Amino acid sequence: MIEVSGLTVRFGGVTPLDGMDVKFEAGTCGLIGPNGAGKTTFFNVLSGFVRPATGTIEAFGENLLKMAHFRRARWGVRRTFQTEQAIEELSIYDNVAMVHEQSKGSSGSRREDTLASIEFVGIKSDPYAHVNTLGVGERRLVEVARAVVGQPKLVLLDEPAAGLPEEETEHLSNVIRKIPEHTGALTILVDHDMSLVSGCCETTAVLDFGKLISSGPTEQVLRDERVIRAYLGTEENV
Amino acid sequence: MESAGVKTADDTTADKEGAGPDVGARQSPRRSRLEPRSLVRPAVIAALVVFALLEIPSLFSLYYVDAWTQVAIYSIVTLGLGVLVGRVGLVSLGQGAVLALGAWVAARLLFATGLSYPIVLLGAGLITMVLGTLVGLPALRLSGLYLALITLMLAGAITVVLTTINFPNGGRGFTGYDGSTVHIPPIRRPSIATTDPAFFRYSMIVAILMFVLVFFHIRGRPGRAWAAIRQSESAALAAGINTTFYKLWAFALASFVTGVAGGLVAGSFRYLNSLTFTTQDSITLLAVVLMGGAYSLTGAVVAAFLLKFLQALLNDWGVSPDWLTILFGIGVLQVLTTAPRGIVEQFPKDMARLGRLIAGLFRRRAPAAEPAE
Amino acid sequence: MPTWTDVEQFLVTGLSLGGVYALSGVGMVVLYRATGVLNLAFGAIGAFGAFIAWQLINHSSVSFWPAFVVAVLVGGLLTLAYGMVFGPALALRDPLVKATATLGLALILLGVMDLLWPSSGGASRALTVPTDNNTFQVGQISVTYTNVLALVLGLVVTVVAAAFLRFTKLGTAMRAMANDREITASLGVPVRRVTAAAWFGCGCLAGVAGVLLSDLVALDATALTFLVISTLAATLVGRLRSIPITFAAAIVIGVITAELTPISSLSTYRDMTPFVVAAIALLFLSRRRVISVGRQGV
Repeated sequence: MIEVSGLTVRFGGVTPLDGMDVKFEAGTCGLIGPNGAGKTTFFNVLSGFVRPATGTIEAFGENLLKMAHFRRARWGVRRTFQTEQAIEELSIYDNVAMVHEQSKGSSGSRREDTLASIEFVGIKSDPYAHVNTLGVGERRLVEVARAVVGQPKLVLLDEPAAGLPEEETEHLSNVIRKIPEHTGALTILVDHDMSLVSGCCETTAVLDFGKLISSGPTEQVLRDERVIRAYLGTEENV
Repeated sequence: MESAGVKTADDTTADKEGAGPDVGARQSPRRSRLEPRSLVRPAVIAALVVFALLEIPSLFSLYYVDAWTQVAIYSIVTLGLGVLVGRVGLVSLGQGAVLALGAWVAARLLFATGLSYPIVLLGAGLITMVLGTLVGLPALRLSGLYLALITLMLAGAITVVLTTINFPNGGRGFTGYDGSTVHIPPIRRPSIATTDPAFFRYSMIVAILMFVLVFFHIRGRPGRAWAAIRQSESAALAAGINTTFYKLWAFALASFVTGVAGGLVAGSFRYLNSLTFTTQDSITLLAVVLMGGAYSLTGAVVAAFLLKFLQALLNDWGVSPDWLTILFGIGVLQVLTTAPRGIVEQFPKDMARLGRLIAGLFRRRAPAAEPAE
Repeated sequence: MPTWTDVEQFLVTGLSLGGVYALSGVGMVVLYRATGVLNLAFGAIGAFGAFIAWQLINHSSVSFWPAFVVAVLVGGLLTLAYGMVFGPALALRDPLVKATATLGLALILLGVMDLLWPSSGGASRALTVPTDNNTFQVGQISVTYTNVLALVLGLVVTVVAAAFLRFTKLGTAMRAMANDREITASLGVPVRRVTAAAWFGCGCLAGVAGVLLSDLVALDATALTFLVISTLAATLVGRLRSIPITFAAAIVIGVITAELTPISSLSTYRDMTPFVVAAIALLFLSRRRVISVGRQGV
């Protein structure tokens, strides 16, 4: 469980997060909002790339903001990026094993854990194939495999389905749905594809202008008037 | 060079332990990598290295044996710079100065002590590593452009210091320089390698050791971390990689091997002065590393060949070395605009393209016999 | 220890050196802000222009000022040509790649200069600005008009560049382009013309700096090429953005370098000044850290 309160981020005159209060309990949670609502900024705060002006984040009883960014991944914060960031020079196996060797997991189980994660996300290519020989869909899966290997506590997926064809989105959606039970991690999914969010997440939070405007069971949230208004107001951006 | 026609990109995947039972179906494609085909490359390289080690001194005149010695020594320098540029994406414009630093330290140790040569090389490597890393430290947290600029300035600063205190010539004191000496003793060479051919073999063996050292780094944990940092700093951090630490590690490794190479330079030149190393060297080094291909170990050898063998060849033919400088300048521009992976990878690609073209011609004639790809 | 007169005399030298560093630094910052290219060939281009001027004066009996104009134009056109050919080819690459590519140009120019005007064989050349001969006294120290020219040019270039970026349409366009070229292009800014202007301007300043430094320091291809280091230090202090800070840093570097000359224990180390200044500046800079997303290096 993570509890965020009063989180504010400022870049010069812009305030992408403005006193955000939110609680994510367990399972797969959605995080939606119009473009510029602060979703990616929130992920960047969780990963430690952006230092908030004020606010606290308590994750599984620990003060997340006190941890150095690279230590957070070792501790269990994992993420994927809007623009896919699988390491091209390395094989699928090395991509995933690298995360494992940096985290606390014992090196004895590295091989099994790595191959299990690759299996879990359903990559069909040879695990020793180079990432630069893969298509977009499988590269995305490599990133997800990196996020679930070892013992993640918090998996952050930033528009994982962007640019994927329908078939692959469906496969990805199946994978995302299984992450919490497979790893025990709390998973937060940011996406603009509402069918993906409602297919994967029991609960969803909605951000607009850096503030939480609604949260609860996904069905209910998507019918919320404030949410509809937020989206309609900036419809051309969605 | 010797890798022409053999793919260089799949280095990193070859050696893995046997697979667990649950992934049995996936083993086969990997196993095939350990089949004879994947052994061709290491075997060819090993054969070429042994051949060079044994035969170069008898095949070439002393002039060219010395040129090959320089190729061996400078391949260590380009190897170090290649790690920084190719593996981590850090551009250093100060490696020439780091080399000079290594040569200074080695010369000082050789005059001051009776230590055996390998110990001196190790000492030069370690001291250079500490000094080189310390000065680069503030820039490591900044973006790549800043690092490049600070290393360029570092090169200038080291050149100033070395010019001022001079290279040791057997004098006393910290600097080991005595301006009034008339008879300057030559810098000592290893007792087993006093002649030029023997020193060539000695340098080459040291170079091989340095290549092995770097090879294991690249295959191991630091290599994977470097690949991640190179691709994206944020992705590396998100994977739990302490990017500053691994950049520092790369810097230290590059400085270490360059320092060792400096020790060999001292023994090969035997008399050093501040004119032996210029600020321009650092830039020329980067140029040849980019041309040779910073991404592969073979590229380091190609780079050293371009730098030192061509130089000797042109000198022999009476052509001005300025033409080489011009060639390197054109090479940098060409590589950066059209072939970012250097000659080593561009050449096989061109060959493969040619092969496909020829294969395509045949395929059109006999469409039934299409091979499965 | 140096006397007070020494200090004053070297202050004059330092200010004029600083003036040239300042106009070079401003040229580099303007080009960097408009195109993302840090022109490391700046010194080599200036040296090339200076050699052309030397050739015209000594072998075609052209008088100094026309030769000076030719040197400036050669610098401008050479830089513009490079920018037109390699600018678009590298436009989308990392600033580090763009900067590295200019080293290619620097190497080519170094090679060409050494072929045409070999430094070996004891041929020493000198390029003297006629204003060297006109001096005036301030107290006990003598000041040449070249000193004045260098400092004034540095100042004028700084003021003009700062005002240009702030108040003119073309300047605003340049500032906008530093943020995002594609968006700027879609807003109707003539990107090609703006970049061309920046390349040409930067090259002209290189020509001016080359001739002045040949007079103040020496007409030597390598030395002039690597004087770019002093300029770079100034631009680094200004974070490759700020024109006023670049100017101030350039003056400081010039003055410190010159003032160390009469102090015998430090004199030989005075060329380290830019490195020391830049290193201190970097220590401050590195406290603020930016994490970059995307591919690093070349």
